[in-house]
Amino acid sequence: MSMTATKMLVRDWRGGELGVLVMALVLAVGVVSGISAFTTRLQTALVQESHRFLAADAVVRSGRELPTEWLEEATRQQVPHALTLQFPSMVYAGDDRMYLASVKAVSSAYPLRGELSYSRAPFGDVLPATTGPARGEVWLDSRLFPLLDTAVGEKITIGEAEFVVTAAARTEPDQGTSFYGFGPRVLMHYDDIPATSVVQPGSRVEYRQLFAGPAPSLDAFTQWLEPKLQDGQRLVNVDEGQPGIASALARAESFLLLAGSLAVVLAGVAVALAARRFSERHHDYVAIIKSLGATSSTVNQLYGRSLLLLGCIATCLGCLLGWGIQSVFFQLFAEQLPVQPGPSGIRPYAIGAATSLTCLLCFAWPPLRRLAQASPLRVLRRDLPLENRRATTDYAIGLVAIALLMWWYSQDWKLTLAVLAGLAVTAGLGFCLALTLLRGGRLVGMSAGSIWRLALAGLQRRGATNALQVVIFAMAIMLLLVIILVRTSLIDEWKTQMPEDAPNHFMINIGPDDVQAIEHLLRTENIPSEAFYPMIRGRIMSINGESLPSTDDVEQNRRQRETNFTWSDAAPAANELVAGQWWTSGTDRAVVSLEEEFAERLDITVGDTMGFLVGSQPLEAEVTSIRQLDWQSMRPNFYLVFPPKLLAPYPATFMTSFHLDASNKVFLNRFIRQFPTATVIEMDIVVEQIRNIINQVSAAIELVLMVILAAGALVLIAGVQASVDARMHESAILRALGAQRRLILGGLLIEFATLGLFAGLLATVAAELSVFILQTFVMDMAYTPQPWIWPLGIFAGALIIGGLGVFSCRRVVSTPPVLVLRQL
Amino acid sequence: MIKCENLQKRVPMAGAELEILKGITLEIKSGEAVAIIGASGSGKSTLLGLLAGLDEASAGSIDIDGTDLGALNEDGRAQFRAQNIGFVFQSFQLLPALTALENVMLPLELQGQSNVSQQAESFLERVELGDRMGHYPLQLSGGEQQRVAIARAFANKPAILFADEPTGNLDTRTGEHIIDLLFELNREEGTTLVLVTHDAALAGRCQRRIRLDGGALVKE
Repeated sequence: MSMTATKMLVRDWRGGELGVLVMALVLAVGVVSGISAFTTRLQTALVQESHRFLAADAVVRSGRELPTEWLEEATRQQVPHALTLQFPSMVYAGDDRMYLASVKAVSSAYPLRGELSYSRAPFGDVLPATTGPARGEVWLDSRLFPLLDTAVGEKITIGEAEFVVTAAARTEPDQGTSFYGFGPRVLMHYDDIPATSVVQPGSRVEYRQLFAGPAPSLDAFTQWLEPKLQDGQRLVNVDEGQPGIASALARAESFLLLAGSLAVVLAGVAVALAARRFSERHHDYVAIIKSLGATSSTVNQLYGRSLLLLGCIATCLGCLLGWGIQSVFFQLFAEQLPVQPGPSGIRPYAIGAATSLTCLLCFAWPPLRRLAQASPLRVLRRDLPLENRRATTDYAIGLVAIALLMWWYSQDWKLTLAVLAGLAVTAGLGFCLALTLLRGGRLVGMSAGSIWRLALAGLQRRGATNALQVVIFAMAIMLLLVIILVRTSLIDEWKTQMPEDAPNHFMINIGPDDVQAIEHLLRTENIPSEAFYPMIRGRIMSINGESLPSTDDVEQNRRQRETNFTWSDAAPAANELVAGQWWTSGTDRAVVSLEEEFAERLDITVGDTMGFLVGSQPLEAEVTSIRQLDWQSMRPNFYLVFPPKLLAPYPATFMTSFHLDASNKVFLNRFIRQFPTATVIEMDIVVEQIRNIINQVSAAIELVLMVILAAGALVLIAGVQASVDARMHESAILRALGAQRRLILGGLLIEFATLGLFAGLLATVAAELSVFILQTFVMDMAYTPQPWIWPLGIFAGALIIGGLGVFSCRRVVSTPPVLVLRQL
Repeated sequence: MIKCENLQKRVPMAGAELEILKGITLEIKSGEAVAIIGASGSGKSTLLGLLAGLDEASAGSIDIDGTDLGALNEDGRAQFRAQNIGFVFQSFQLLPALTALENVMLPLELQGQSNVSQQAESFLERVELGDRMGHYPLQLSGGEQQRVAIARAFANKPAILFADEPTGNLDTRTGEHIIDLLFELNREEGTTLVLVTHDAALAGRCQRRIRLDGGALVKE
């Protein structure tokens, strides 16, 4: 056969038949590969960004010195590394001034990720540094300068060694963790440690080995390292380093995967609709070429090859589009992105190609395959019914294909099931409901005016087709509602978690006598702060009368440990009781409330008793409640809360957190002079970093939402297009019989808007179900019903479908009916 | 030679069977021009569809130049049509996405012939459309479209040409022109011509007329 598929494609393209199909395929591949590439690259970038909080890609920490062989191995495997050592120590200036500081010694390579910053004077302009202080030099926390009454260029002493103060230490990438009990920072060189002689066996210190490098070599190294770790040596990853970032990233990832999966479904539906219309419009074509002598296998080959060729072209174009989409995304917020997006690799485009292949095989091929069965007798009798019955197997194949594709794409069966459940509800319930509603509509409509009768009769006449169309519209609207709902609750949650005035400074070591004065000062300076919580250092000694092992330097769960206690009459703000009950106000019972994860680590439940040592006095209390709290909130949070009467006899200091604008930082200077014993921990840079990441992720989510909305719109357009021919034909006849423009367009508007209304209703019900499953089981968020989605889903459905329907059929009133009839 | 014996066509309709053709027996000799006439609904088009192998008979046999159409499946009949049969339809049945030239090339391409473009051009010139080859059907008048259809019907040099109301959609003058063209080509190519028509003038130009009434043959 010399008539090649290429020729046929070219001819069909000229005839405009292929437009929607190609567009649907190109968009399918483009959206899927674009979102996938964007997600992959963004993840790489964000993971790098979050690594800044570790100052490395991987960190091993221990209370004892770590083997130097590990560093030698890292060098051998070409993995860059650095060392830090952190310990509390008295720092002396002159003869009489001293202060307990948190000393951190860092090697020259520190930090491996993120930036170190300093200023030439305390609280001065922040400058970036590529490396820490040189040997013999130290950088002091800004507030240490007034406390020690020293200045840049003067000398201080740590242990037996003397150092020159050369700068104010401002931020370290990994400062966001474990600050309790530590004083202001002193930064020195790692190689100066021996000279100080302060670090002795048994000292309370933390050694860290930091590693960074490209994924393959780092992975190989950590794999080599992990089996060598002993008790007390821990490999820390990003999740532990910064839980807030990790959960934000995980949810953003879920969202983007969800978005991509929905794009897959939408693309599949769009392709199926377009292919169906393509096949319907080709029935006469096939009948003619069959009457001219083409056999079924010729027709199959012709369409099979055309489809393959079309698939190849659409896949290439789609991949190009996908590449374009992700580069536009990155360009749109290149300024906000502090790190270079990583490479996306070939996978996103492979997913795009697989989507295209699946869409072609499972959605486009079945209706085209049936074309070969078209009767050549249609050339004599155009009234022969079309061979377009969609076998149940077609739907089953399509559903399985979609499910597998979504699963492959998201690698998350819960997410896949959540979306499928929504789709199944839409399809199943929808079909029955749509049929019933359409029938009911007819009864009501019979007595209505002429436009209504026309419209409702149209709905009734094509009952089954309309029901199918309602289901398709409902699916598209449902997917769009799901993505809008999830996006809204995600961004809302982040906003409440990280409001603009979120606390960004902690204040600890506040003497009880200073509490009122500090409260007053903050109030007069208009600085919003949290409540003041008492803080008592205590030690957990036993559980249910059984003494715990006392090895401080071994990292195991059930052991004696020092921690901070607080007291409170009421459950602290933003703490949620998950077990037991809060005590009655003013109780004098010996009871305690535990944080959930802490209780899990120690394997304690409500009703257990715990033994403590506060100062030198033993104390026993029964666990009466377990609380869940939000560690990302930057509020003072405590593992253990006691009733006030129980802890009142013990000496306490107080702590709070407050929000200070960058422009008001000099307040700290005044504050420290006024209250030299209180310690301020500046978290503003860390908070700003977290907020930046969340802002970037939010922006990405908004952009992805736009793309999904576009894909959804395409499905709606394809859905409307699918029924336009029949409606145009009828309208043209009515027009020929003298029907007014108003009657025809009004009838079409009512017909499509009714379909849209029903579709919107179904979509809203299914979307609520889907979002409930997604938020509860996939994204680990609390589900709250969103009443605004109901009017939005239902009326937007009616408005959009009605509008699209009238727009698609508008030609019928502007073109002479004979032309319309001739072209159909 | 076309020979059909006791040809019947029944279709299921509203639970019962509707008998459209009630045992037609006839013979058409090679090179003969025959008109099938009769009132609307008498079964003319059904008979044409069966004779051309577009449809299957419920009973009876059709033999064309020694080939029993009843023994062929749809694909076999398609191949037979490609080799032996040409069509001209009332509604032209041109493919709207193809130009006049491409429409004429189509049956040649389906046969796997070479030089299809040259052959198609020569046929279009014979129907006086040499200057409209690149036009699409919608850009052509009804008469021009039917001339393209005639060129397409003769392009693969069929032994038999079936025409279903070839002038049905045309005005009288254009219709006459089309009839002239059809008979002229028919004579030149030595084709057997079987046409269904209501047009007495057209029927009158055929050597023989077969009248159908209620699905049965009536002697002319």
